[in-house]
Amino acid sequence: MKLREYEAKKVFSGYGIAVPESVLIRSPGEALDACSRIHGDVVLKAQVDVGGRGLAGGILMATESDAASVADELFRKEIKGLSVQEVLVEQRLEIEKEYFLSIAIDRSRRSPVILFAEAGGVEIESTAGESPDIVRRAYVSPHFKEVPGFILRYLTKGCEKEVASVISGLYRAFLEKDALLAEINPLVITPQGVLAADAKLIIDDNALNRQGICENRDLTEREAEAETHGFSYVELDGSIGVIGNGAGLTMATLDLIAHHQGRAANFLDVGGGAGSERVMHAVRLVASVPSVQVIVVNLLGGITRCDEVARGIIDAGVSQQVIVRLAGTNEAEGRALLEGAGYRMLDTMEEAVASAVQEASS
Amino acid sequence: MIYGDRSTRVLVQGATGNQGAFHIDLMNRYARDVGGAGVVAGVTPGKGGRDVHGVPVYDTVREAQAAHDLSASVIFVPAGAAADSIMEAADAGIETIVAITEHIPVHDVMQAVAYARSCGSAVIGPNCPGLLSPGECKLGIMPSPLFSTGSVGVISRSGTLTYEVVDELTRAGIGQSTVIGIGGDPVIGETFVDCIEGFHQDPHTKAVILIGEVGGALELDGAEAALSCGLPLVAYIAGVSAPKEKRMGHAGAIIEGGEGDAASKIRRLEAMGIVVARRPSELPQKIADLI
Repeated sequence: MKLREYEAKKVFSGYGIAVPESVLIRSPGEALDACSRIHGDVVLKAQVDVGGRGLAGGILMATESDAASVADELFRKEIKGLSVQEVLVEQRLEIEKEYFLSIAIDRSRRSPVILFAEAGGVEIESTAGESPDIVRRAYVSPHFKEVPGFILRYLTKGCEKEVASVISGLYRAFLEKDALLAEINPLVITPQGVLAADAKLIIDDNALNRQGICENRDLTEREAEAETHGFSYVELDGSIGVIGNGAGLTMATLDLIAHHQGRAANFLDVGGGAGSERVMHAVRLVASVPSVQVIVVNLLGGITRCDEVARGIIDAGVSQQVIVRLAGTNEAEGRALLEGAGYRMLDTMEEAVASAVQEASS
Repeated sequence: MIYGDRSTRVLVQGATGNQGAFHIDLMNRYARDVGGAGVVAGVTPGKGGRDVHGVPVYDTVREAQAAHDLSASVIFVPAGAAADSIMEAADAGIETIVAITEHIPVHDVMQAVAYARSCGSAVIGPNCPGLLSPGECKLGIMPSPLFSTGSVGVISRSGTLTYEVVDELTRAGIGQSTVIGIGGDPVIGETFVDCIEGFHQDPHTKAVILIGEVGGALELDGAEAALSCGLPLVAYIAGVSAPKEKRMGHAGAIIEGGEGDAASKIRRLEAMGIVVARRPSELPQKIADLI
């Protein structure tokens, strides 16, 4: 789950990383008071859960005299389709230099990787693409609880001394907060010292529980409902509902739909060993999306039993046509049940998908 | 066959749980059919002295190891304790550790895999269906009726998609040497590269199917390894239509910041000279063409 900037900054400052003075406001009326507490010019930053908010107009400059009207403007905006509920009012910094600092997980090395560049800001990705040498990269063995000195010296050679302690602090936060990504871009040098001007922190969803986070905000309402049933669910924008078991098979089903020039409305992975009741909930959930015209069910029974799946589909009794491809454990029983109830059964995922695309476009 | 054969003596950790007990039975039915050793011991802390489907249960892996000379373990322990179980198995000298468990926090996996590798153990998974060498051994939860013996190796990040492909191969009369689900998490033990090296050494394997998905670059590393050892390989990558920054099913299937999306992975594989199937149904013909 992505934390918002002000939440990530709060975490980072708990690890000794300096952040700009700031006040979080939830209405334009609070802007003036926030400014008077900060003194001087400010930046107003919309706290929305999307990337690229700066370019989308989510960051505005203000002075104490126009802060209220700028805040009013920001609260009325939609940033990439999201309304602005929270704004961080932050002191405007006198920036001498910008750095980029990011800690992530490298899949090939199976270890954390620290990326550091003596350049930063929104352009860093294209800069790094053009001249990759600008980014210094260091892998930290999972056996280490701290970044060893030799790695710090390599990353920060020629930089201000405080930068090394920011890296150490950020690494501790990365480990202790079960992060998939901890990033400061830009990390800025000002006359007041080294500050995290922006902050990004993504927590491993599998560790939310032990981090004391009980609600995953990244999920839409239907995705959250799906999670209570133990489904993986993703909302898309087409007209064909998709239910499968296993992420790979369900994704391959989506790809086949695209291959046949159809558009999937969603992706629902019922997981392993789904019984009839779970399947019923899955079918109803997918059918509840208004744009869904037809539903394709592609299940391969290993632990999952096809007769249970068939019962679930029949019990759901949705109004849209359900096209089914079942194979594996108890396949014959499942087919008999569905055929008896008048459902369309097809032998392969290719046929099922082709037929669903045809139905959706007719 | 790689990672195990008929002589492989298997431990199940989390033996007394629902999943553990159920799959001890299935793995041992398979072992009986092929004349293999199968699951000879189980471990559940605090439940030593019991038995599950006739298999003795111990409190610790060390005790089980001392009594049974084990070479593989299959882990069905819940997510919160599974990483610890991987390390316990490695510490007791078990060579092949198959972690079926899903939803283990990634920092725990990094620790456990690093420790296991430092002990010389190979970890398959986590969040995987395990492996099956037809006619030899089954370590995990793969549905054995779909499989047939032959010379095609399969390595995959996704469980049910693997079954789909194996089913199509068997229907087309193409048997498999070993089928390995390496798991869909961001960090896993054995990667495509490790399995390719294993298949390269395996006299039973003539060609390999690699099933990948969005996220990371492990498929490209694997393809490079296959090219450099001259092992024929066909790839399929799921997730061409996956939206960015959405988690598709398991933790691994996410595209981070445009890196590792399926379309660019396919382009790069093809640029390397690898044959890439656009649909699972194309795989049998494409692999047959290579053998």
